[in-house]
Amino acid sequence: MAEQGTTRRRALKALGVTLGAGAFAGAISPIATFTEGLTLDEVLQKHYRELSADELARVIARLEAETRARYGAEVTIADDRPTEGVQLAYALNLSVCIGCRRCAEACFVENNHDRRTHNAYPRVFEMEQGTMDMAEADVTYRHAVPAEGHFYMPVQCQQCANPPCVKACPTRATWQEPDGIVVIDYNWCIGCRYCQAACPYHGRRFNWQRPELAADEVNPDQGYLSNRIRPQGVVEKCTFCLHRVRRGRHPACLEACPTGARVFGNVLDERSEIRWVLEQKRIFVLKEELGTHPRFFYYFDQ
Amino acid sequence: MSRGVPLLWALALLGCDSAGMASPTVEAPEGGPAFDMVIHQPASLGGIRSGLVDHQGRPVTVGCMTCHSLREDHDLPADAHDLESVHGHMTFVHGALACSACHDPDRADRLRLADGTRLELADALRLCGQCHGTQLRDWENGSHGGMRGFWDRRRGPATRNHCVDCHDPHDPAFPSFTPMPPPRDRFLPLVAAGGNDG
Amino acid sequence: MTTESRGTPGHHVTFARFLWRAAGNATDGSWLFYAWMFGLTAVALVGLNAWARQMAGGMAVTGMSDHVSWGLYVANFTFLVGLAAGGVMMVIPAYLYRDREMHEVVIIGELLAVAAIVMALLFVNVDIGRLDRMWHLAPGLGQLNWPMSMLTWDILVLSTYLLLSLYISGYLIYMRFLGREPNPRHYVPFVLVSIVWAISIHTVTAFLYCGIGGRTFWNSALMAPRFLASAFVAGPAFVVLSLQVVRRLELFDVPEAAIETLLKIMRVTVVVNLFLLFCELFTHFYTGGHHSEAVSYLFFGAHGHSELVPWIWTAVALNTAAAAVLLGRPLADNRVLLNAALVATFVGIWIEKGMGLIIPGFVPSTLAEIVPYTPSLPEWKITAGIWAFGLMIFTVAVKLALHSMSGELRLAELAPKPDADTKEAA
Repeated sequence: MAEQGTTRRRALKALGVTLGAGAFAGAISPIATFTEGLTLDEVLQKHYRELSADELARVIARLEAETRARYGAEVTIADDRPTEGVQLAYALNLSVCIGCRRCAEACFVENNHDRRTHNAYPRVFEMEQGTMDMAEADVTYRHAVPAEGHFYMPVQCQQCANPPCVKACPTRATWQEPDGIVVIDYNWCIGCRYCQAACPYHGRRFNWQRPELAADEVNPDQGYLSNRIRPQGVVEKCTFCLHRVRRGRHPACLEACPTGARVFGNVLDERSEIRWVLEQKRIFVLKEELGTHPRFFYYFDQ
Repeated sequence: MSRGVPLLWALALLGCDSAGMASPTVEAPEGGPAFDMVIHQPASLGGIRSGLVDHQGRPVTVGCMTCHSLREDHDLPADAHDLESVHGHMTFVHGALACSACHDPDRADRLRLADGTRLELADALRLCGQCHGTQLRDWENGSHGGMRGFWDRRRGPATRNHCVDCHDPHDPAFPSFTPMPPPRDRFLPLVAAGGNDG
Repeated sequence: MTTESRGTPGHHVTFARFLWRAAGNATDGSWLFYAWMFGLTAVALVGLNAWARQMAGGMAVTGMSDHVSWGLYVANFTFLVGLAAGGVMMVIPAYLYRDREMHEVVIIGELLAVAAIVMALLFVNVDIGRLDRMWHLAPGLGQLNWPMSMLTWDILVLSTYLLLSLYISGYLIYMRFLGREPNPRHYVPFVLVSIVWAISIHTVTAFLYCGIGGRTFWNSALMAPRFLASAFVAGPAFVVLSLQVVRRLELFDVPEAAIETLLKIMRVTVVVNLFLLFCELFTHFYTGGHHSEAVSYLFFGAHGHSELVPWIWTAVALNTAAAAVLLGRPLADNRVLLNAALVATFVGIWIEKGMGLIIPGFVPSTLAEIVPYTPSLPEWKITAGIWAFGLMIFTVAVKLALHSMSGELRLAELAPKPDADTKEAA
């Protein structure tokens, strides 16, 4: 009797385990959508800094092919390297900014952001005249600008010289380049979002979904570390339009500004506009007390 | 004090290399700026807008001398409103200036500075700068008026706006803009008027 | 006493047999056991499915945003690290103070630590955007940003603590299974290390938050002490409840003195926990200004938003009521009331150290924007699923441990041979 009981128990257990395995497989099945898009090459890809020139070329070829397959767009992903003797900085004239948000719109177009969320790196705050308190600011205004009694302050990644996000990242997926830009290897980031928690300026954004763009909306002139179409589940941020500025061009936000509130260039060049602004204007930075040493400076004309 | 500090800071960071992660640099192009800073010449300098558009939709400007070479000039009017019948589409909101403050009474296509020096229309910047010196100084140094092109003029040119590109000399106040739409964040309620109230 | 000389097979054989018998033990039990385990399995599978869909569709299925970029998952992670540390509360009296009664049930604390750490690690993993890239954290293979990133310290100390707890509890259970007295030299040093390590896991987790200068709610020196204080309330509370369940199910004769020791510890820690909260609130509210915006939002709402207000006041009420019951002798003597108080403080600390700690760090945002956060249904499903799985681990482990200690689970060669007649009757 005991023997039969044990056998029956064992048979029931075996049945239970089989059913359980089946239930497990059924429950986890939706993950196929995620895994089918993954290639072994992508999963095993090394950190950007460890890739040889050949390996990087192969990675870029793979990314360009993936863009073609997923978005139907032909793109060129470049690997622009920093130039020697260049320390980039950005300044913003708060007396001249009118809050039109064309900088944000230009960023949206230039950097291949997800069309659904309409993300853009600059966030323009309508501030109350007479205070720098951000709690009194509004980012949702729609009225004609500039409005009486207000001034406007766009905030984007400050490319800090002492970046808390770089300290926080557990995998060194984000780091500061020699010319000052804080970059992210989108193929190395694990998406833990600790950098997003660490950033004091709301500079970093996360891809909560796979970005969606139509083929004709894709900006084909892309950089590996900047505006290529980012994958789902990774963090991204303003890169000062690295793919433009490392070729000597102005960032997209600066070119779009109709009043010329934005000034950009190489601080080490004595004749540059940015140098003049930093020397002649009374500049300040946001949250200076945190010791982040931003490269993004603000000033008023009077 | 503001002069030296950002500089020292920037220099101190040369060679700053976070955890050995940064990319190797490439050599900078040799020499000084090879390309120009181009100052845009707006169409409205050198004529008035007729209010008409050509077959490509571009506004048609009429050169000053088109009319002024055919007729003798009267004295400059005391009030800009007197010109509306011939110089249509012109508003005048520029302080208590008389026409002769800027215009050469002898020639319609020339301007004059306060000391009487005559100025071609193309040099109108100097006239603006006569009263708006701080803005002109800021503009010359890239801190006013916008630009397009290259920050590194060893590699390409940059174009700067002319004063008149944004400021109508007769009504220079910068126009009101309708802003681009606000950010479309998850869960951030969109409100019509000020404050972060939800 | 020893069986070595009698030619028992080596550990590679006996350990395999132990694992096989343990698997059998994990799937054997009363109808209540089966009902419990099936129910938990169902919940765990619902959570697994929700997670698979989150991986496929992206974390947009959650209620998180660029403003509140950590939510329910990290809240649970934080709480569970505390629970794991709290398990060590039994270890200190048992080993440092040679409390005999506590020594008998200290394994419950170790097993709680195991289950809690497994749950905590699962909560971190479901919060990762690209789980396929976790190898990037492997030292040598990937790029572990140690010692700069506090997350790397957290990974290291949590993994080590898990290994320590697994080793200690595994060793004790395995030795009992073999019918041998555990050799103190083989586990006591590890136990002593685990005491220090338990403090470290919670300190490091606190340092994740309190080093962030941009978030004033977190940037406080009191973070680590508060974490420890609440861990030493939630941990013992759960253990006392578990011990009573163990006793009720007649798995083990739990000495009342052990429970009493834990309650004595709780009487102190529950007050310390409330006191440290008060200190934190005073500093924020008295200074005022920018410093107090997050706390104001948490307790009173701000700019028309008051999503967290009911949560935090519930937590404060539960913790205060529990403190009153624990400290008020006549009240504490009533077992029903006492158990209610233990559940109340467990839930209160879950709220306070979970939602009441993580979310206010993000609201208002670093640019003073107020974006509310409400966990979505998939988040709740995944959370429930992980808790169910953790409870399954805890149940199986405790059953295994108690059956080994009582002699029910023994290596076949050592098991008492059934008589011929009893065999027939069975």
